Amino acid sequence: MIQITSISKSFGEKKVLGKLSLEVKEQEILALLGPNACGKTTLLNILSGLTRQDEGNIYINDVLVSGKACTRKVYLKPSERKVGYVFQTVSLFPHMRVNDNVAFGLKTLRLPRQEVKKRTESLLDFVGLREYATFYPSQLSGGQKQRIALARSLATEPQVLLLDEPVSAVDPQLRESFRLELKNYLQALKITVVYVTHNLSEAFVMSDRIAVMGNGHIEQIGNRTEIFDKPSSNYVAQFLGINAFKGTAVKANSGVWEVKVNGVPLLACLATNLSGKNVTVTIKPEDITLQQVSRPKRVLGAE
Amino acid sequence: MKQSFANSISDKIIIIIIALIVITYFLFITVPILAVFLKIEPSQVSAQIRNAGIIEAIKLSLITSAIATVIAFVLAVPSAYFIVTRNFPGKTIIDTLMDLPIVLPPAVAGVALLYTFAPKGLLGPIFNKFGYIIPGSLIAVIIAETFVASPFLFRSAKVGFENMDRDIVNSAKMLSGSRLRVFFTVTFPLSIRAIISGAMMTWARAMGEFGATLMFAGNIAGITQTMPLAIYNFLYYDPLAGITLSVILIIISFSILIIVKLLEQKRFGAKK
Repeated sequence: MIQITSISKSFGEKKVLGKLSLEVKEQEILALLGPNACGKTTLLNILSGLTRQDEGNIYINDVLVSGKACTRKVYLKPSERKVGYVFQTVSLFPHMRVNDNVAFGLKTLRLPRQEVKKRTESLLDFVGLREYATFYPSQLSGGQKQRIALARSLATEPQVLLLDEPVSAVDPQLRESFRLELKNYLQALKITVVYVTHNLSEAFVMSDRIAVMGNGHIEQIGNRTEIFDKPSSNYVAQFLGINAFKGTAVKANSGVWEVKVNGVPLLACLATNLSGKNVTVTIKPEDITLQQVSRPKRVLGAE
Repeated sequence: MKQSFANSISDKIIIIIIALIVITYFLFITVPILAVFLKIEPSQVSAQIRNAGIIEAIKLSLITSAIATVIAFVLAVPSAYFIVTRNFPGKTIIDTLMDLPIVLPPAVAGVALLYTFAPKGLLGPIFNKFGYIIPGSLIAVIIAETFVASPFLFRSAKVGFENMDRDIVNSAKMLSGSRLRVFFTVTFPLSIRAIISGAMMTWARAMGEFGATLMFAGNIAGITQTMPLAIYNFLYYDPLAGITLSVILIIISFSILIIVKLLEQKRFGAKK
């Protein structure tokens, strides 16, 4: 389980994260979804300890790994956090064979040689690449490299796994099948996973829940239906490609409100009394049906 | 038709002019080197190599340049790593100052070293206290060579560390808490080509050092007379000996360049 409370980070003048809070449940696969340069990678780097936040605390399984406890500053090194990290680029050690790559973390644990060998082999088995043990990274395909990178990051038995757009290092035509493979691995692992992506469909395929990120904070967090049916802001709606219209709530008829958008009445479900208020109505593309009568059949998700 | 004919004529003229420029430049560089080789026959070289003065100069050059390269390695590689991985105020200024000996006229370097290490120089009195007089000694040769040549290794190591893929180093940091282990198992092996090629350049520069050595260490046979200084001496009373040393230096320099080229052809771990 990960708890992030009110994290801020600036690089010089540029504010990248502003009071960001997030909670990732035990054994959950959470997708961190957002456009490029919205701070996703910075957040992962802060979680891993490669970057230090300016403010805020990070807890992994209820242990403060970085931040302030009372007046005491706490900072655990990346290797002390029990966190695995698969990077966006192929980051295997090019001068080491596949088995040495995987064993790199095991060797820091000062295990007996036999144990290192056994664990390396079982990790290679896990990603189905045992026969490539003596290959160099340059002899592998993009997908194979990322599978080895996954195996390597798992060597130290992390409690949390961070993945930064791991699919982007794979050839475009093989991405779809790699995604499915990766999903099987992640589900089999049963550990907490944070999966960064800017790809909407990837986020939906890979994760249990999605956190939509924008402008240095989490805009909305929820499962697929929650986010699609009730985007919490214009930003989220826009990012998901959902149509959003500004209008005024006029009157209600048994929970269904009439909203005037540029004089055109739309029917929307509103939870609270918003009579006379300015509201935004969202319509998912797949909910639009064309009919001869020029009235929308169903309108969902308004606030 | 006429137009394209004119075009092809002017194209040809341009090509001929460029070819002439290229050939002139190529000859300008190679002919003087060839001239040295034409001045001497292989049998004369093998006879000259037995000349005690030549052997002494070669020995002195090899020893001092090797020591200078080792000192440069110990000082420049960690410094380059520090400069690349840390941010601190005045970094750009320090970085630029460290490169200064590359462009500094060697005579100026000699003067600077004199005013630092001479008995009445800035640091000279300290050495004096312990009974050491640096100028005119073998140590002065090594200091001059290190001062002038080490920035080549510093620069090259810096480029090597800068071109390291950050994600690769970060992957190592995620898995190992020991900075030394990350450096020696990942960062260093991945920049080794840049470091070796820098060390080769440093060695070549140290072998060829003339101006600073002459100013600071003097030209004393058997003590400070390295190969370039010996060439300078021999050229007046024993030209064949001077030419032999020149031939040896050309061969060494050329071999070093080939090795550096081979090393630079493929650098694994560098950014794609």
